[in-house]
Amino acid sequence: MSAVLLILVAMLVHMVCTNRRFQWPVVRSYLTTHTILSGLVTTLELTGICMAVGIVLGTLVAVGRLSTNPLVSGCTWLYIWFFRGTPALVQLIFWFNLSSLMPKISFGIPFGPAFATFQTNALISSLAAAVLGLGLNEAAYMAEIVRGGILSVDEGQTDAAVSLGMTRVMAMRRIVLPQAIRVIIPATGNQLIGLLKYTSLVSVLAVQDLLYSAQTIYSQTFQTIPLLLVASIWYLIVTSLLTVAQYYLERYYARGSTRTIPPTPQQRLRLYVGHAMRRRVDVGQGPA
Amino acid sequence: MSRPDGAELMVSARDVWKSYGSVDVLRGVEIEVRHGEVVCLIGPSGSGKSTFLRCVNHLEKIDAGSLLVDNEAIGYTVHKDGLREARDRVTARKRAQIGMVFQSFNLFPHMTVLENIITAPMLVRSQSRLSAVDSATQLLAKVGLSDKASSYPRQLSGGQQQRVAIARALAMEPKLMLFDEPTSALDPELVGEVLEAILGLARDGMTMLIVTHEIGFAREVADRVIFMDQGRVLESGSPEQVIGNPSSNRTRSFLDKIQ
Repeated sequence: MSAVLLILVAMLVHMVCTNRRFQWPVVRSYLTTHTILSGLVTTLELTGICMAVGIVLGTLVAVGRLSTNPLVSGCTWLYIWFFRGTPALVQLIFWFNLSSLMPKISFGIPFGPAFATFQTNALISSLAAAVLGLGLNEAAYMAEIVRGGILSVDEGQTDAAVSLGMTRVMAMRRIVLPQAIRVIIPATGNQLIGLLKYTSLVSVLAVQDLLYSAQTIYSQTFQTIPLLLVASIWYLIVTSLLTVAQYYLERYYARGSTRTIPPTPQQRLRLYVGHAMRRRVDVGQGPA
Repeated sequence: MSRPDGAELMVSARDVWKSYGSVDVLRGVEIEVRHGEVVCLIGPSGSGKSTFLRCVNHLEKIDAGSLLVDNEAIGYTVHKDGLREARDRVTARKRAQIGMVFQSFNLFPHMTVLENIITAPMLVRSQSRLSAVDSATQLLAKVGLSDKASSYPRQLSGGQQQRVAIARALAMEPKLMLFDEPTSALDPELVGEVLEAILGLARDGMTMLIVTHEIGFAREVADRVIFMDQGRVLESGSPEQVIGNPSSNRTRSFLDKIQ
């Protein structure tokens, strides 16, 4: 079994190294060009903003879902049902084309006079459509993750908090959510990595993200595969960094939940090196 | 331990009714606790003792009747058409004066022992961190856990956790303490240390309402023992009366079973 696996891996490596059509020199030359890097920045910004929208709005929706008020829990249920039930790509294109549904948007008293009126196309740029589409979609998923986290906290915690005179809101903020976070973080890490890749959808709105930047280059040079490799390499680098960040965040929030926290890879390495050094010293000073 | 008679009532329950769906859990409960009095609630499981205790600080709603703590309704207001839920902020302020200790401790696991104790005084009573830590240190000394201030709850034994929970409730300087089977989740050898802490409070004159299965403890600590069965108060009186010489057959058979 492992022999077969080894041969397959060897074949893959050999193919990747010897197939000239991968054009690795081209990959290297484009990896840090200005267009690609500014695309990367846009992708990161978009991921950050949409995730922030997702976490804040998602937490509010989650608390709303758990509300005893049927109107609040009903509306939030509807929100999740709609935004989770339609494809993100469809939502993106929908927001981008909002002007055909509502040519103008006004702010003012509901059903009364308007204070300010905007052309929808001016208000909703392709970047705004991207943030709306991905952010609202992300919030629906985050709401379910946060709700699961809140439900994982024993009800006795809320009992204890309110019996000490905390309001429901205080109890949620100070007691329940900090404990729910331990359950929320791993799933949120997944969501963040997913979102980072989902942002590549905005290339259909001509937002100049990482993928779109690669596309603009290869549409002129026809070096499709090398440029897709360039984009993939950057996606992999960022997701790797996020995975590491997630590890340390989980560790931080594990305090109080386990008796001892396991050492980090860095600490483990230091321990291992320390042991090895000591062993060498022991051997060196052994009986003559 | 004799207390002045005719003192103001700390808890006054009149004809309290509560049901879960079609099951009546409390059926016209009448209970009084005077200032400085220690009252133990005993009775078989399902008799409504814990539910009544949770109604006192409005962790559970009552359906009908009146339940006053120090002459104030907690968590509801009385209207012509019945009882109405009060605003959360108002309820919270009143609850702050009633301490509660739970069967399962319910310490906050993400906080150290010290943080468990100082959080509510700082948050709810706007006490400064310095003075909150100061009184927390005294309370920890009182329950014999001065060396555990920086431990996390999970690093403590059940008995130690429950004593921290008592200190946490006391930090709010309550005028009434509610205990919901405080020793039921403990290993037998850890029960004593918790009961000792509660006895200490009784000696200090704290008003307490204690739901317990420890009949020997009830006999020792209580000024009055109340026996509940099927959502009603069957018997109420001094420990010698209710435990030593019960008048109802139901009480006698319950005591025979658990002693």
